[in-house]
Amino acid sequence: MVSKEVEKLLLKVQKPGRYVGGELNEVIKDKRKVAVRFAFCFPDTYEVGMSHLGMKILYSQFNKVEDIWCERVFAPWVDMEEEMRKHNIPLYALESGDPLSDFDFIGFTLQYELSFSNMLNMLRLGNVPITTKKRGEELKNIVVAGGPCACNPEPVADFVDLFFIGEGEEVDLEVIDLFRKCKAEGKSKSEFLRMCADIEGVYVPSLYEVDYNPDGTIKSFMPKDGAPAVIHKRLMTDMDSSYYPDNFIVPLVEIVHDRAVQEIFRGCIRGCRFCQAGFIYRPVREKSPDTINAQCRALCENTGYDEVSLSSLSSSDYSRIVELLEKLLEWTGDEKVSISLPSLRVDGFTDEIMNKIKTVRKSGLTFAPEAGSQRMRDVINKNVQHDELMQTCATAFAGGWTTVKLYFMIGLPTETMDDVADIAHLGQDVVNTYYNTPNRSKGKSVRVTVSASSFVPKPFTPFQWEPQDTIPVLHEKQKHIIDSITSKKIQFNYHDADTSFLEAVFARGDRKLCRVMELACDRGFHFDGWNDCFRLEKWLELFEECGIDPAFYANRRRDFDEILPWDHIDYGVTKRFLQKECQKAYNNQTTPHCRLECSGCGAAKYGKGVCFEKRQDMV
Amino acid sequence: MKNVRIWFKKDFECRYISHLDLNRTMLRALHKSKIPIWHTEGFNPHPFATFPLPLSLGFRGVNECMDVRLEDEDYSFEEIKDKLNDCLPRGIRVFNVTEAIMKAGKVAFASFTIKLSLPNKPSGLVCRQLEELLSQSTIEVEKKSKKGIKTVDIKQGIKEYSVKEQFDFAELDIVLAAGSSDNVNPNLLISALESRTGEEYETDVTRNDLYTENSEPFR
Repeated sequence: MVSKEVEKLLLKVQKPGRYVGGELNEVIKDKRKVAVRFAFCFPDTYEVGMSHLGMKILYSQFNKVEDIWCERVFAPWVDMEEEMRKHNIPLYALESGDPLSDFDFIGFTLQYELSFSNMLNMLRLGNVPITTKKRGEELKNIVVAGGPCACNPEPVADFVDLFFIGEGEEVDLEVIDLFRKCKAEGKSKSEFLRMCADIEGVYVPSLYEVDYNPDGTIKSFMPKDGAPAVIHKRLMTDMDSSYYPDNFIVPLVEIVHDRAVQEIFRGCIRGCRFCQAGFIYRPVREKSPDTINAQCRALCENTGYDEVSLSSLSSSDYSRIVELLEKLLEWTGDEKVSISLPSLRVDGFTDEIMNKIKTVRKSGLTFAPEAGSQRMRDVINKNVQHDELMQTCATAFAGGWTTVKLYFMIGLPTETMDDVADIAHLGQDVVNTYYNTPNRSKGKSVRVTVSASSFVPKPFTPFQWEPQDTIPVLHEKQKHIIDSITSKKIQFNYHDADTSFLEAVFARGDRKLCRVMELACDRGFHFDGWNDCFRLEKWLELFEECGIDPAFYANRRRDFDEILPWDHIDYGVTKRFLQKECQKAYNNQTTPHCRLECSGCGAAKYGKGVCFEKRQDMV
Repeated sequence: MKNVRIWFKKDFECRYISHLDLNRTMLRALHKSKIPIWHTEGFNPHPFATFPLPLSLGFRGVNECMDVRLEDEDYSFEEIKDKLNDCLPRGIRVFNVTEAIMKAGKVAFASFTIKLSLPNKPSGLVCRQLEELLSQSTIEVEKKSKKGIKTVDIKQGIKEYSVKEQFDFAELDIVLAAGSSDNVNPNLLISALESRTGEEYETDVTRNDLYTENSEPFR
């Protein structure tokens, strides 16, 4: 629903279809007849936000409840923001066109540290005070947040009333139930928040007091008012009975992932030591092939999408992948629906899988060896062997593929310049493999794209104590790769080190960074994840002004016994396990994945998932 | 196989999507509706649909059309209309389905209703500005194309027009050359007006009907 005032702006901005709503399957309710209005805010553009699966699940789930109306809000692109400011139009939700300040709940999903500035900017555009303190005691405009970045909520602790830790399907509704009750009883916002803190999976930052040592590290982290000392994550234990939408909003304009998305499992068995998702979503919990098949079919029927993507952290690790593909292929051919399998592992690309995907669509092949040398891959526990990668590429080349994308990281712990050069060498080996594959596509050249991003140490990983390489060192490593590439068949891309530095600051930041965030909002920072807007110098000025050294967060090695800003949050994986993994990394030792052997990470306490599957070596 | 012309309105939210997005939306709706439409036979088969005359982003269209090939010749037109409407966003409404009587290339003119206004200025003024512009012997305007900016005279592409003063806007009814060879986009006319008067107008453009070379309605 678009107001007359907004309509006047739409022809002045790029892609106005992002700001109007009105898509197929959008949910419209009568606002006078609902008890709870929830604005689901995605702190990035429409095209990015609409591609996000979590939003689709929660949007659908909320709206299934009769008296909740969940609407969508996205960050307007800079041209639209400028027009809205010029004409005094507050940020509005797409469904009703009502301003953000009308909502009971304002919920953000935090997918990426560099979208923090967009969260604050959206609140400000919606005329909602950005800090918890200034929003008052009325039970309204409750700002909530979840998503992977909520695992270290401290850099945005002053702005969010409560965080959802872990998976949201159940805990969100429990908080909304409590809201209804508190509203009926005329409770204040602080009374409501205090009661929320007793719900498992809810973190209310204002109920905790932090003290610092003279060196800036944390001295103590104390709960107030009887709030729990440790906040435990929530998770869905049975994926087959978990809510999954049978319907997605079908955007009018093209979005990033413009297809049906079917989640096949949560978590990852692998335990790559740099990967936060691989730890915080433990344990692996799969859906059954029958559930997936039925959900895929319903989604395609209801949306009209002719492509469905089987989504997870590592789709070829789905234990019954061949059985699943067979089931899907029974109907997808006739219905002219194609299946795509993103996140394929190097060792998961078998002939059998390849032939099944190929019957419908031949997309590009992307693998992530993550590191060039075998030693480095052992350090990060990637568990991929050089020969496996070459074998996989040979299989792909024999199957007609001629382009391969390889993703790597630079700046990993213990990395030497030789390890870095091996990234280029690995690319060259893939090129050579192409020419040594007898039945490759005749008369075609091979193209190998090598991409290197910079390692960002993240909370809840074995590398959470590691310093990030400084920007000059990262630049040197990027240059070293370029110098080591000799073939024109290899195209090299790398990510901007400045962005990775800021990401590292906020990923492991503490509450002292809230001041920087607030100042950033005052200065109109937004879209820091976009090269169009991001300028590290502007941020460095802010840090300087606040007397904060960003290197303290990004480039400092932390002691194992330091109190980390996120120590009060429990994702099931123990600190002792992470330390053990970190030590093993230093010794170039790998850890087998969950299906081969339990490594005792702690996630078995949830009593479900891969921890209780029968292993092959067990009788 | 039967060539079928699907007539629809494009308005409300869907006014703001481009022709490419409209195409995508239509293909998805056709796919979802399971109407027996001929699909392309490539590696990724998709329903085959063509549009006799694309509509610019931002314009309302009250008599738009899209051509498809129906595999089942006995399939009812009424059913196509109902099924498609169930699968389309509310801003696109199918109101008729007919056989494709004329070839798409027959389109030569299109009629528009253009509402123009200036904030805080009387609509009579805008009417006069329009009349003055349209009575010129040539109307030159810069047109951006892939090859760069060039100046074109759009006067030849204006077939007929009338200007009416409404309460808070000027209403221009105009028939413009349309089709692949001589096409005059109303946006060109608006920018000619803006560069002449130095004002920025609020505009609302609706495309009404398509016509052939002989001014017969396109069917």
